[in-house]
Amino acid sequence: MKILIVEDEASLQSSISEYLSGLGNNCSGAISYTQALEKLDLYHYDCILLDLGLGDGEGLQLLSYLKRTNRAEGVIIISARNSLDDKLIGLGLGADDYLTKPFHLSELNARILAIIRRKSAHGERQIVFREITIDLDAKEVKVNGQLVHMTRKEFDLLLYFIANKGKVISKSAAVEHIWGDDADMADSFDFIYTHIRNIRKKLTDAGSGDYFQSVYGVGYKFINE
Amino acid sequence: MKLFSRYNRILILISFTGLILIGILFYQMLIFYLNRQLDHDLVEEVTEVKEYSTGGKFYSPHEFEDLIVEYHPIKATRSYAVYGDTLFYNPVKHHRENARFLRTEMNLNSKAYQILVIASKMEKQEQIKNICLIILLPVCLLLLVVLLVNRLLLRKIWNPFSQLLQNITDFNINQEKPYQPVEMPVAEFRQLNQVLVDLSGKIKSDYEEIKLFTENASHEMMTPLAIINSRLDNMLQSNNLDTREGEMLAELYRATSKLTRLNQSLLLLVKIDHNLLQDQHQIDLEALVKEKVLYFQELMQERNITIQTALSPVVIHANRQLIEILINNLFSNVIRHNYENGRIEIDLDAQQIIFRNTGHNPALDPGRIFDRFYKDSTSEGTGLGLAILKQICIRQHYALSYAYLKGLHTFTITFKP
Repeated sequence: MKILIVEDEASLQSSISEYLSGLGNNCSGAISYTQALEKLDLYHYDCILLDLGLGDGEGLQLLSYLKRTNRAEGVIIISARNSLDDKLIGLGLGADDYLTKPFHLSELNARILAIIRRKSAHGERQIVFREITIDLDAKEVKVNGQLVHMTRKEFDLLLYFIANKGKVISKSAAVEHIWGDDADMADSFDFIYTHIRNIRKKLTDAGSGDYFQSVYGVGYKFINE
Repeated sequence: MKLFSRYNRILILISFTGLILIGILFYQMLIFYLNRQLDHDLVEEVTEVKEYSTGGKFYSPHEFEDLIVEYHPIKATRSYAVYGDTLFYNPVKHHRENARFLRTEMNLNSKAYQILVIASKMEKQEQIKNICLIILLPVCLLLLVVLLVNRLLLRKIWNPFSQLLQNITDFNINQEKPYQPVEMPVAEFRQLNQVLVDLSGKIKSDYEEIKLFTENASHEMMTPLAIINSRLDNMLQSNNLDTREGEMLAELYRATSKLTRLNQSLLLLVKIDHNLLQDQHQIDLEALVKEKVLYFQELMQERNITIQTALSPVVIHANRQLIEILINNLFSNVIRHNYENGRIEIDLDAQQIIFRNTGHNPALDPGRIFDRFYKDSTSEGTGLGLAILKQICIRQHYALSYAYLKGLHTFTITFKP
């Protein structure tokens, strides 16, 4: 996938680029809206990551431009402002998602995949990884065609790990994915351990391979090989 | 003591003391003049006795004159006249009366006599009593009226002052409405009012500035935090990590996550302070609590905490986001500060919602528990959860209280206090 990262903080841009490239994406960056417009004139992308707080003009204008020219790119706003108004305006102008800084790269990647999936012509509503099939509409997990019962949080977590397969996801990122911003429970790291253990057990009991790997107590990895 | 009562007490004390002193003085003066007049009359009587005696007779007054003249023959006359008070027996009225006498000596028909003239004071004394009453009664009445008018007038004059006090009490730095100035006819009060208006304006603008600073500082920290987070995410992908480095990364993640939550909580507090979350909705609180029980169930199961709920159907009118944060924070709090195999109880009715939990801590200080950053050192939380709770309750005009009852930490929110 081709991804344009519009972000004036060079360090953040490069680490996003590094992570997403590692997952097989083709990333390019723009540090200003002018630069972003130039690139958009020349190339087409699958997804644009847009920082709203850039120096040389309103990021919202770029959104209007994309909407006016009927561009097909999915847009994720990444902003330091966690304000409902900003969110509503951004989404109203055609952005597909809104991610508040700071975020985990695994979260960003999961959101990009969700948008691409939604945007793709046939709307692929199934994710298949070897013997595991995930039905996104029915929110069901099957192993070799056999239904595996999972709680809502387990389902979300499995989806999150598969979206970032091959990458280590920190417990901190997993907790934040599940609890979001609302709860002050984001420090319940042990809780993730219980969840992963349950998912693992349910999958292997249904005859799937064990793809979860613990990494030095800091996180987990859904192994690809 | 109130200003009124103090002022009135002094006023009453002084006026009555003054009144009594003046009354005594007045009475003494009248008595003095009365005596003088009586003495003068006695001299007249003596002159009359002298003139009468030229006819060779002794003057003897009528019975109704309340006058007695006595003649005592003596050897020789000396020249003197003695005045004084005495009692005399009134033969007509048959009782003793106060009287004035004059004793002198003179020659009547060439014989020496000592003459004693006694005149009753009774009638005159009655007159004095009446005069005193006639004067003192209206004065007392006047005093009462003055006191009454004083009271009413003072109350009226001080009325703007009490209004001013009320306004100061009502002044809330968090609320949008500014300090309400009061119309003041009195210059001193007007000055006080102006000072208060200026002061409240200054406090408000300073407070706004601090809030703005908090907001900006928190926002500015988000991008560096995003950089740290993303760099950590990339470092984690390295295949050359050993256990020690892994632990260090985990610690860094923890710290970054805590800092992020701290920042988000501060921003949320500012947002609630700014009253940015205003749109009101009908919220089915019973459904919301049930939903949250499910939402948090794994956290409770993991520590084998039992939960008992007694919920009635309650619909409140409030901001949805605030109420969700409120319920989330209550849940987070009762789960976080609970122990293994502990207990949580939730009661909901139309008046209030109560969260109770078992916990390691003994009773906490109800006066400080809702303060920002008040927490025990072992807690992993931000120390802002309960402060946010309190702020939301203030914003929604709910009463929030904490108590330690029957071994349970009890948080009560009353919707219509």
